[in-house]
Amino acid sequence: MLDTVREIETPEGVSLRLRAAGALPRAQAWMVDLLLRLVVLFVAMIPLALFGKGGNGLAMLLMFALLWAYSVVCEVWLDGQTLGKRALGLRVVKADGTPVTWLPSVVRNLLRAVDALPGVYGVGLASTLIDPHARRLGDIVAGTMVIHAQELPAGQQVPVLPALPLPHVLAADEQAALVEYAERAGQLTVQRQEELANLLTPLTGQRDTAAIRQLVAHANWLLGRA
Amino acid sequence: MELERISVVLRPRAPREALDLGAALLRANAAAVWSAWFAFTLPVFVLCNALGLLLGLPWLGLVLVWWLKPLFDRVPLYVLSRAVFDRAPGWRETLRGQRQWSWRSTLAGLSWLRIDSSRALRLPLELLEGAPRQQRAARWKVLRRRITGETSLLTYGCLQFELVLFLSFWLFALLLIPHEWRPESLASFFRDDVHVAATPWILAGATVAYLAMSAIEPLYVACGFALYLNRRTQLEAWDIDLAFRRLRARLQGLGKLLGVLLLCASALPLSVRAATASVDVPKPVASNLDQVFGPPAGADRFAAAAAEVYRDPRFGGERTVRRWSFKYASEPAARAQPLAFPLLARVLAAVFKGLLWLGLIGAVGALAWFAWRWRGRRVPAADETAPAPLHGLASVEAPSPLPADLAAATRALWQGQRRREALALLYRGSVERTAQLLQLPPAVGATEADWLRQAAAIADTERAQRVVAIVRAWQFAAYAGRYPDDAAIERLLNGWPAQAGASA
Repeated sequence: MLDTVREIETPEGVSLRLRAAGALPRAQAWMVDLLLRLVVLFVAMIPLALFGKGGNGLAMLLMFALLWAYSVVCEVWLDGQTLGKRALGLRVVKADGTPVTWLPSVVRNLLRAVDALPGVYGVGLASTLIDPHARRLGDIVAGTMVIHAQELPAGQQVPVLPALPLPHVLAADEQAALVEYAERAGQLTVQRQEELANLLTPLTGQRDTAAIRQLVAHANWLLGRA
Repeated sequence: MELERISVVLRPRAPREALDLGAALLRANAAAVWSAWFAFTLPVFVLCNALGLLLGLPWLGLVLVWWLKPLFDRVPLYVLSRAVFDRAPGWRETLRGQRQWSWRSTLAGLSWLRIDSSRALRLPLELLEGAPRQQRAARWKVLRRRITGETSLLTYGCLQFELVLFLSFWLFALLLIPHEWRPESLASFFRDDVHVAATPWILAGATVAYLAMSAIEPLYVACGFALYLNRRTQLEAWDIDLAFRRLRARLQGLGKLLGVLLLCASALPLSVRAATASVDVPKPVASNLDQVFGPPAGADRFAAAAAEVYRDPRFGGERTVRRWSFKYASEPAARAQPLAFPLLARVLAAVFKGLLWLGLIGAVGALAWFAWRWRGRRVPAADETAPAPLHGLASVEAPSPLPADLAAATRALWQGQRRREALALLYRGSVERTAQLLQLPPAVGATEADWLRQAAAIADTERAQRVVAIVRAWQFAAYAGRYPDDAAIERLLNGWPAQAGASA
C-alpha cells in the first residue's frame, strides 16, 4: 500500500506517523520565505542608504544574516518552522520525529549551498523528487525531514443518540471506522450514507435510515456515552 | 470500479498532502509511466521539430510540443489510474488503451481550455468518469470546491519546476565549460554565437525544454490524480467504505464459521461437554494495588526521604548569581535624542569600535585563561608519583599463574586482611578450573554472568553450586563492597574448585 507516511515505533510501542512533505509545498514555502526576506532587506536598506559606506556594510551584514542565520534561528526557536513553512503548515523535524536542534539545523541550512546548485535549486529539486521522503541533500546529511504539521480539521461531533452496545466484538480499526462514519456522515449525501450503512447489514440487521441510526448509536456506545 | 483493489492508503488528507501522494505514486510507477511517455511523445517531438525545420520556422517545434501537453497528459493518467486500481500496464497496452478514452475533452484542452490552471484536476474527471455534459458540469463544480487554491498551486509549482530544470541544465553547462571557452558576456554570447547559428541553438533549447517537460509533466498529472482521489475520498468516504467492506466480509465469514460450529455442536454434544469440563480453572489474579506492589511506605518514611531529597543543592536552596548591569541607566536615553545624521553615524561607529575592542579584550582574556587553566598539562613530569589508589580498586594484578594450592593461597591473603585480592584469586582459580573441567577454550572476555551460565553445565550439582557461590561472593565484594565472613569463606574453600584434588 502506497503512502507518504514514515512510521516510527517508540520503545513503548507507540507508533508515530510523520507525514513527509513533498517538493511542491516546500518550494512554495521557500518562495514565501524568499519574498519576506527580500521585503525586509529592501525596507532596511532605505534608511541604511543614508549612511554611505558604513550603511552599505550594515546592509551586507543584514543580507548575510538573512541568508544564513534566518532559517536556523527560525527552525530552532520557532518550532522547526520558518515563516514560510508556518504559512504552508510544514515543520522540520529530526528523522526520528523529535524537534530539530542546533546542529542538524545548521548542517541542513549550510548544505543549501549544494542544494541550490546551479543557482536555481536544481539539485535540491531532483533530490526531493527522487527521495521517498522527499528530502533534499541537506536533509539527508543532517538526518532531518520536513513534515506536514497541520492536522485535518476533525469531522463534526457525533450526533447524540441513546448508546447501543455492539453485538459483536470489533477490532480497534473497525471501531475507529464506525466512529469515523458517525463523525463524517454529515458531510456525505443521504444516499451515500445509506449505501455505506447497508454494507454493515450483517452487523446491524437493519437497512437504510434505521441502519444509519443504529450505526450512530453504536458509535455513541463506543465513545462511552450513556 | 473495485475499491478493494486500490493500492494506495486512503484516508482524508489535507489537499497539500494529497499532492505529495501524487509524487509517491509517480515514484512507485516510474518505469511504466516514463516508458509509455517517451514511446508516445518522442515521435511527436521529432515530428514537430521536423515540421518546424521544413517550414523554416525552427521555434515552431518547441511551441507545438508545449501546446500539445494536454494530449500527452493522457498517457501518464492512463498508466497511473490502471496502476492504482489494478496493475501498471506496459507501454504498448497504454498506447492501445488511448482509443478507449474520448478525444472530445482533449480537443477542448487543446483549444479553448489550453490556458487552464486546473487542467490536472479536470483530466481524471473527464477521462475516467466520462459522464454526460450536464452532469459533468455539476460534478466539476462539486469536485473543485475547496481545492481551487491547491490546483493552481500545482499548476504554477510545476511550471516553476520545469523552468528550474531547464535553467539548471544551462547553468550547469556554464559551470562545466572551461574558462577560456566561455563567451565574455551574455550579450556577446547571444550576438556572436546564437545569432550566427540560430537553428542548432533553438533545437538544443527545444530538446532541453522537452526533457524538462518530460520530467515534470507526469508529476503534474500524478499530483492532479492524487488530488482527485483525495477529493473523492472526502466526498464519498472511500476509506470508510473499504473498512466497512472488510468488516462485512469478516462478519459474514464469522457467521459461516458459527453455523459450522453449531452444526458440529449439535452432532457431537458429548465431545463439547468433555471439552468444557477440562478447561483449567484460572489462577487467582491480584485484584488490588497492595497485592501487586506490596504495602505502601509509611508517611514518616516518605517525609524523611523527601527531606533528604530537598537537602540536595540541586533542589532549591539559595544561590548567588553574579551578573553585569548598567550603572548609569539614564545615559542611553540621553544619547537617543535626535541627532544630525553624521553625528549619529559617528556615534554608531564609536559603538562598533568599542564593541570590537571589547571583543579583542575578551579574546585575549579567554586565551590567557585557557593557558592558565591548562598550564603544565601537556607534558606530565617524569617523576610524578602515581595517584593514590582508589578505594577497593587497588591493584588488578596481571594474571600470574595460579598457585598449586589455591585454598591455602586464598586463606593466606584473607588472613592478611587483603580480602579483595583473596576473593579475586579464588574467583579466577575457580573459573579456570571450571573451564578445565568443561574443557572450554580459554575465554578472556567472559563475564561473571557467562561463568554462572557455564556452571549450570557442570554435571555434579554440588560443584556447580559451589562455583555459583564463589562467583556470587566475588560479585558482592567487587561491585558492592560486601564481604563474606570467615565461616562463609571456609565453606567456599572446602572441596573442589579450591582444593584441586577434592572429589566434590
